[in-house]
Amino acid sequence: MSRWRPSPDEERWLEVASELGDAVPRAAMTERAGGWRSTGPLARIALFVLGFIAAVLAGALLFSIAGLDDEATLLVAGLVAVLAAEWLTFTRRLHASGIEEGLCLAGFLLVGLWITTLIAPRAGYAIGSVGTLVLIAAAGAAGLRRLNPLVTTGAVVAFVYWAGSTATARAIDQAIGGGVTALTVGCALAALALALGAREYRRPSHDRMLDWPVATLPIAAYARNAAPDAYEVLRSPGDGTSQLATAVLLCALGAAMLFLGLRRRRHAPLLGFMGCLACLAVELRQVTTLATETWLMLYGFAALVAGVALDRYLRQPRHGLTSAALTRHEGPLDLLQTAGAAALAQRAAPESPRPEPPVTGGGGRFGGGGATGSY
Amino acid sequence: MHTLEPELRTLRAAGVIDDVTASRALARDRGDVFSLHQELRATMYAGVLLVMAGVGLVLARNLERIGPVAIVLAVALAAVVCALPAVRARRAGRPLTVAGDYLLFLAVLLASTDLAYAERQFALLGPLWSWHLLLLAAVHAAIAYAFASPLVLAASLTSLAGWFGAGATLGDALHFSYSTPMLGSRALACAAVIAAWRYADRRARPATPFSNVFDHYAANLACWGAIAWCREWPWLVAGLPLLAALAWASVRRGLDTGREAFLVYGIVYAAIGICVAVVPRLHGMTVSLGFVLIVVCAAAATLWQLRRRLREPSP
Repeated sequence: MSRWRPSPDEERWLEVASELGDAVPRAAMTERAGGWRSTGPLARIALFVLGFIAAVLAGALLFSIAGLDDEATLLVAGLVAVLAAEWLTFTRRLHASGIEEGLCLAGFLLVGLWITTLIAPRAGYAIGSVGTLVLIAAAGAAGLRRLNPLVTTGAVVAFVYWAGSTATARAIDQAIGGGVTALTVGCALAALALALGAREYRRPSHDRMLDWPVATLPIAAYARNAAPDAYEVLRSPGDGTSQLATAVLLCALGAAMLFLGLRRRRHAPLLGFMGCLACLAVELRQVTTLATETWLMLYGFAALVAGVALDRYLRQPRHGLTSAALTRHEGPLDLLQTAGAAALAQRAAPESPRPEPPVTGGGGRFGGGGATGSY
Repeated sequence: MHTLEPELRTLRAAGVIDDVTASRALARDRGDVFSLHQELRATMYAGVLLVMAGVGLVLARNLERIGPVAIVLAVALAAVVCALPAVRARRAGRPLTVAGDYLLFLAVLLASTDLAYAERQFALLGPLWSWHLLLLAAVHAAIAYAFASPLVLAASLTSLAGWFGAGATLGDALHFSYSTPMLGSRALACAAVIAAWRYADRRARPATPFSNVFDHYAANLACWGAIAWCREWPWLVAGLPLLAALAWASVRRGLDTGREAFLVYGIVYAAIGICVAVVPRLHGMTVSLGFVLIVVCAAAATLWQLRRRLREPSP
């Protein structure tokens, strides 16, 4: 039993407490979880942000009060944030509660910044530089220390972007097509995480640290193609090769994710499959001459038809698969759905009332001096 | 992959959880039952988003070629077609499925777009054009009640907030720099109307599925409005106590119902409001940074303590 992080058994009991919620007495779970304390998803997000802001503010305050030079401030502020996070873990037994995770990430990043000032003082943080890699490593280390899937996944995505922007990757891209290197690295890492996900892990957090890259890497790696520098390369003679390579990669990865997602009954591979499908749809769009509005509506209707068909097919559970929700209480995704509905509804509605302009020359509301048309 | 089966069996053997809870949890853990509900919602949302983006471009680009009347009729027809599954389900006495709910939502959005476009083209209400938003809010509310759809209710409340001149999305709420006391007053008025509506809805239908949607809209609009008041003197005199009262009510609501979102609203909005009210009146970078740091630390500690008192609702 460690005081620095929960043992695998304690973490499993924390997971059970989170799964069962109010159905199990808190006292029974606290004892089994070794006194470690966690929090819910929304409070964890808020506390993570507050912790991160607090660490950055403390660094700025240190710089302002102590009058240290830039490098020393980075090191001291980083160490203070990391020690604060460790103190919360050691004395308060906080695990996955947000605040210590935000402090730890900010602290590691500040220390990483300090290291970059030592190893490459004038290199800056250009894309593909060693300094950027140090920061990515710092974020990854913070994620591993805290067993936080968001932070580790962010570090992996940043690494894919970094790998795609190195001189070697640019040279390869010149030969085979823009963005293919980053996409290949991203797909390879996603495939590796998918393969590792077959193993049984004692810690639920290890599972999640593998699940998140599986779900996000296909889209994140593909989105790098849309970066401005890659856009130029896309127009190079290697276009056809890169599109074929991209399509093959995404098809292979998507098929594997769908198969394994259904077989293992896991959400992450299925979400990754949906990401691959979306990327393939965009890729397909680039080889057709359809107008933007046409392909948007075509793909939209395709998604709706697929959704309706899936809903109908799984209305009665088949082989344990169902389209019905298994829990009734409100979760973060319900909140996200309401926010998403509000965003869409606001775009669809007429513009909000505004004060009338003082001059309405032309007399008309459309095309005159006081025109309000926005279509 | 991990399994919690040994722990669940231990709990059942020790009598900590009953057989029903244990068997449900075990079935989920083993994958004997696996829900694609979230994937389905994501697919339907993506579909609605893409269709609406496409329709927006059609309206913008093809006006000359197709003509406004044809466009209005085509979009209206599409809206009717999208609403058909929900109408059929209602006639058959079936509850709305996820797909049916999203299709109904798409129908409502298409109708909104159509009405907005028609108003632009034909100036149906002339200088009273903004009343379309109120009309939309009423029509959407009627549809939401007819089909018991929280998604459509969200569209109705968004239209209502738009009619009041207060945006209802997260992006609007975060634009504190654009907030003026007048905008804050509108947001507060809108929040009051929504709170009254919620109260009436709850009294008329105790098992209403809409309370959550009402609560989130009212809490966000009210807190945002109070923060807008905190930015300027003399509104600040009323804004700060009002924000304190709203934060307390939000936290109380969270503790009573076991929903941590309301704890987060109460604490985070209160921290933002205090910073918005005080920081511009402080002199010097060090003092300002120190003050914000104290507020952030106090907010984090308070949120942590309150979260510990919260009990999650059981699955």
